[in-house]
Amino acid sequence: MSEGFGFRSLHPTVVFVYYAGGITFGMLLFHPVLLAAAWLAAILVNVHLDGGREWRKWSIPMVAGFILILVTNPILSHRGRTVIAYWGDMPLTLESVVYGVTLAMSIVFVLTLFVSYRLVMTEQKFLFLFARVSPKVALVAMMAIGLVPRLRRRMGELMLVQRTRGVTVTEGPLAVRARNGARIVVTLLAWALEDALQTADSMQARGYGTGTRSSYFGYRFRARDGWTLGGLLFCAAGVVAAWGGGHGIMDIYPRLGSFRLSAGDVAAMVGYIGFLIMPLGLEWRDRRAWRILASNN
Amino acid sequence: MAHLSLEQLTFAYPDAASPAISAVSLAVEPGEFVVLCGPSGSGKSTLLRLLKREVSPGGRVSGAIALGGVPLQDWPARELAAQVGLVMQHPDNQLVVDTVEHELAFGMENFGLPRDAMRRRLAEMSGFFGLEPLLGRRTDELSGGQKQLVNLAAAIMLQPRVLLLDEPLAQLDPLAARELLGMIKRLNDEWGITVIMSEHRVDDLLPIADRVVRMERGRIVYNGDSRTFAREAWRRRDEHWDAWLPSVTRWALEHNAGELGRPPLTVKEARAWIVSEQASVRASASSVTHLSGGDSGQRQRAGVPLTRGDSDQWQSTEILLSKGDSDQWQHAEIPLTKGDNGHKAAGTPPILRADELFFAYDKKSPAVLRGLDWRIERGDWVALFGGNGSGKSTLLQLLAGLRDPLRGSVRLEGAPLARLKPRARFAAIGYLAQNPLLHYAHETLLADLTAAAARAGAANADQAARDIAGRFGLAELLRRHPHDLSGGEQQLGALAMTLLGQPQLLLLDEPTKGLDPYLKAALGAHLADIHRQGTTLLMATHDVEFAAAYANRCALLFHGEIVADGEPEPFFQGNVFYAPPIHRLIAGNGTTRQAAEVTPR
Repeated sequence: MSEGFGFRSLHPTVVFVYYAGGITFGMLLFHPVLLAAAWLAAILVNVHLDGGREWRKWSIPMVAGFILILVTNPILSHRGRTVIAYWGDMPLTLESVVYGVTLAMSIVFVLTLFVSYRLVMTEQKFLFLFARVSPKVALVAMMAIGLVPRLRRRMGELMLVQRTRGVTVTEGPLAVRARNGARIVVTLLAWALEDALQTADSMQARGYGTGTRSSYFGYRFRARDGWTLGGLLFCAAGVVAAWGGGHGIMDIYPRLGSFRLSAGDVAAMVGYIGFLIMPLGLEWRDRRAWRILASNN
Repeated sequence: MAHLSLEQLTFAYPDAASPAISAVSLAVEPGEFVVLCGPSGSGKSTLLRLLKREVSPGGRVSGAIALGGVPLQDWPARELAAQVGLVMQHPDNQLVVDTVEHELAFGMENFGLPRDAMRRRLAEMSGFFGLEPLLGRRTDELSGGQKQLVNLAAAIMLQPRVLLLDEPLAQLDPLAARELLGMIKRLNDEWGITVIMSEHRVDDLLPIADRVVRMERGRIVYNGDSRTFAREAWRRRDEHWDAWLPSVTRWALEHNAGELGRPPLTVKEARAWIVSEQASVRASASSVTHLSGGDSGQRQRAGVPLTRGDSDQWQSTEILLSKGDSDQWQHAEIPLTKGDNGHKAAGTPPILRADELFFAYDKKSPAVLRGLDWRIERGDWVALFGGNGSGKSTLLQLLAGLRDPLRGSVRLEGAPLARLKPRARFAAIGYLAQNPLLHYAHETLLADLTAAAARAGAANADQAARDIAGRFGLAELLRRHPHDLSGGEQQLGALAMTLLGQPQLLLLDEPTKGLDPYLKAALGAHLADIHRQGTTLLMATHDVEFAAAYANRCALLFHGEIVADGEPEPFFQGNVFYAPPIHRLIAGNGTTRQAAEVTPR
């Protein structure tokens, strides 16, 4: 799906609020059931955005991280009353196992959110937000984004041609390879600096630095942005209220509490899940528009 | 009052002994199309930069520059930046941000225009430039011609009254260059933007220029209209001037001993001239004597055509044209004829042989080469033509052993390239990339040449480096950083480095790109020299005239295969696009004749 459709059509401010809230709450709330539900919601968002392709790409490192935390937490932390086993003379407590699971869940959940962040918050949206804070830094960021592919391509060409004169990193003794690599990098950098001078000229020629700049890229704040923002803030208020009342956090140490959700926990969870799947409403709405369009033809 | 006026402008770089610009006076009227020409290093770029205050080089300036009657230094910064637009040579380096749309908006952002005004102007301009389909693209994905078009549009976005262009076409292939030039011409015609452009491609430029200004060593040596320039260049009998004439013009002047009041500048004008000449030949015998009796002593030409007063005008045209052809090729000095090659090929394997070459950059992109078979014989000087992105560069890299084909093989004298050690392979096959800067990796030209000599196994690398630099006229520049050399000097330096390895076969990718006509001739002479000494040459090129002047074999790459291959003359006669203007004159006449035969009058 493209820009301007569903979740992606939202104003950068709304997108920013969504991710800022989603990540903050993900770190504030600490209840395995709640986090598992939130994780599922985040996966659902990913699936809606691109069929889960990007998320699958990251799934192996995420699972690896999950297992790593799961395993290391009980080994490193021996807090908790309920000892379930001994490894040598090291006690493994139920509390630290559950804590590890919850922690791993919270991290994997935040990572999942980040995967969808990369899909929704394009460079342009990010820079639009950022340009208000510091136009110059935003411009530098934009130039850097343009520079990277150029440098990479030139590096490739340089290595190809320099091979003909024996400057290569693929043959010869290690010391020679290292020296050659350094030579190529130095040449590349000298070249980049030379080019940067011309880029600077081109910027000056078009009046850069003659006064205050304005920003071309604009996103209109539409009615759907208003509604979504309102909904997000409403849910967020609910979550904050529940969290302020001490809900949404499970007692683990020193003695494992109950997994059962209290009324406050349920309120936090409903608010949070509502918050996370709020943009899906737009996805559904826009998809239905397509279906109707398709069935009419 | 002149729009832009320069008075006694003199400029010297801080540590230079002599001024880069000396006592230049020039007045440009609003809406004029001025072409600045002259050899590399004659001060064209410096002059253009002095006209654009934001990028003026530091140094000692005297004299005055005024825009619209107001001295340049008295203009407010913002207004001046908008008044004068600048497009430079390298398409890549002028792009500032990541997407086309944002690049076009960049200038307007700098001026703090409100968003609505920017959108409106961008919508209008992108329509004018035909850039709408590219707006969402990343600038680094565009072709060179598209990039330069974006640069031009980005400069025009600020609605300048004067457009300064510093060799904007030098890095483009002829087709893209002509398109961009058409756009510049439109801006000049339709919007009345004053254009001051420095450029080497005289063939395309002289016909459209209102004024030609020629500079030499920082001085203006000619300032007047194109036709007078053509006559003046012919009258001077100086190779430095001569090289700047469009080939059609030179051909016409040669055949009429410089007596033309209005030398033709285009193929169309040349054809009209032929027709009118022949009409006058038929009309009066006295004009024949006049033509034939002209200043034949001034230049050795084997006689003047049109002397026979042929009844068939077309026949005489062809005689006259073939004359021009032999003039074109007279400096080629081909040591081996095609017949020799054929004879040799029977006994020894060709120096390079490609079988069933197949190559693609990645799984998803279309194949660049699709089962290409080709042989290069010893003593060949092959010119390889092909459109943009047709895979000429890729083919050269495969033949040089820089890349490996997905299928198929390249054999050097019968031995597969893949089996040869890289060192032996790169010693036997010299490769000169399109961008000569890719060959440099040291701080000075001397260091680079010395490294190349040492690798080639020279006993005294330093001496070998100095020797070859002397041969190529680079001795003065040995201490320079490669980036501080001009494009032509970089090209010669890279060629020198490659030649130190004494390759049997030299592959050149667009060797004439961005060279001024005189340097091009110098490069041609060097290559002819190498060829005479027995090196086989293969050059991928867009430069049809250069190929016509030097190559002894021409080939065309299309759809990943060689679709035409043969000696230059039959090759060019079969082409309309990949043919020098002289051949277009012939081809055009042929069709006209056929048309005349079928159309009853």
